[in-house]
Amino acid sequence: MNRRPTIAEQLARQGISRRAFLKFCAATASLMALPPGMAPAIAEALGKIRRPSVIWLSFQECTGCTESLTRSHSPTVESLIFDMISLDYHHTLQAASGEAAEHAREEAMKEPGYLVLVDGSIPIKDGGIYSTIAGISNLQMLKDTVENAAAVVSIGTCAAFGGIPMANPNPTGAAGVQALMDQGLIARKPVINVPGCPPIPAVITGVLAHYLTFGAIPPLDALGRPLNFYGDSIHDRCYRRPFYDQGKFAKTFDDEGARKGWCLFELGCKGPTTHNACATTKWNDGTSFPIESGHGCIGCSEPNFWDAGSFYKALSAPADPLSFAAGAAVAGAAVGVGMSFMNRAKKSSAKAAHETATLKDLEK
Amino acid sequence: MSGLDNIPVNVEAPAMPFGSGNTGAILAELETSLQTLLTSGKEHSIDLRSLPLLPGELDYLRERLGKGEVQVDVNALGHSTVIETAIRGVWWVTHRNAIDNVMAEFLEVSFCPDIIRAQRDDVRESLETLAALLAGDNHS
Repeated sequence: MNRRPTIAEQLARQGISRRAFLKFCAATASLMALPPGMAPAIAEALGKIRRPSVIWLSFQECTGCTESLTRSHSPTVESLIFDMISLDYHHTLQAASGEAAEHAREEAMKEPGYLVLVDGSIPIKDGGIYSTIAGISNLQMLKDTVENAAAVVSIGTCAAFGGIPMANPNPTGAAGVQALMDQGLIARKPVINVPGCPPIPAVITGVLAHYLTFGAIPPLDALGRPLNFYGDSIHDRCYRRPFYDQGKFAKTFDDEGARKGWCLFELGCKGPTTHNACATTKWNDGTSFPIESGHGCIGCSEPNFWDAGSFYKALSAPADPLSFAAGAAVAGAAVGVGMSFMNRAKKSSAKAAHETATLKDLEK
Repeated sequence: MSGLDNIPVNVEAPAMPFGSGNTGAILAELETSLQTLLTSGKEHSIDLRSLPLLPGELDYLRERLGKGEVQVDVNALGHSTVIETAIRGVWWVTHRNAIDNVMAEFLEVSFCPDIIRAQRDDVRESLETLAALLAGDNHS
């Protein structure tokens, strides 16, 4: 480990000046959603830590998460962060293939303490035969790789919560990384969930930068998501929130309210129960995010979002507004409610207590 | 230049009877920060990308703060601009990357933003460089 250069040395070797480094740290602080005053602390930390090895495993996924990352809008910062790590295995991006590729993974695993990034869910039904790489089942590969890892970062809703492969009727028995640890199928390691379908690229790199810079897991919510990106609901950070507060809602996608940019709550927006950074970080070079383009949030960074009822049905909530405020909204096609931001154990009991609520109930 | 710039888009400002309320909050934060700068010398910085702003509110803020006497271009990891606003001591700092996309945007409250200052280690290296230069001259 000690032979690896520190990140500051690595950047200096690439001809990055001290002024550029300062700028990099300021941009990284912004990327990590940290207060700008943290930039000097980031600079100091980067001068000490060494370039860690990263193994990226892609399982039952659509490559959308990798696409999101590689097409991210600020290549300078993102690519520098990727220069900060040693990406030893990523079967979509690496040049090697076949045995050479798997050999690279085995080599990287010889030195414990690496970081494992996972995108895609893991099928466990029928011995995990539904997805294999080099003849190894996803479950076996994850089990072997996680064994000596320092931590696992689940990139995207599939790796974090099972995502679309796990959607009803879940033919492959798909599960997320955390669920496999909970079931004792793989070793228990610290997990950072970075959900989204796909996650915002700046959030992926921001989380990595946080781990690299401070060498520690950032503060997480009950679902294992970093609070600096997933701490607020889309609704609370939405620029259309003033319309909600004034009771001004678009009723259809082409009425006067829609044209005037009023709140999309009644058109099924899942903003109130969805935790993500879209409303501030935005997409496509900071251009906009779904609500800014006139479509409600579909709640893609929450567990079971695909089975949570129609994207176009207004959220309903528990009759007791206090439990709603405490985060007890729950997913379930039967009651047509939004996504959960509570832990899984509480879910089934809460489900029974839920009933469809009107907008009025929500505003009590 | 991002490819998106080539798409002609005419953004109509929505009929807003009110703003997000954040521009007023930012101006108030600047006022407090200027006060702190004067009394304790402590600098402050506001990350403009971390706040939900309505379309047009950033321009409104730029207009309200105006343009001061100093404008600095920094070429490090792409182009950055440091522009003093008409409110002296408040600087509008925009960091762009190699392909000119904005990476980060701050309002900084300081006598002189750090990015402009030469750093101590750089000055030390400059001394060595200059000494080597002079030694070379003396030999020829």
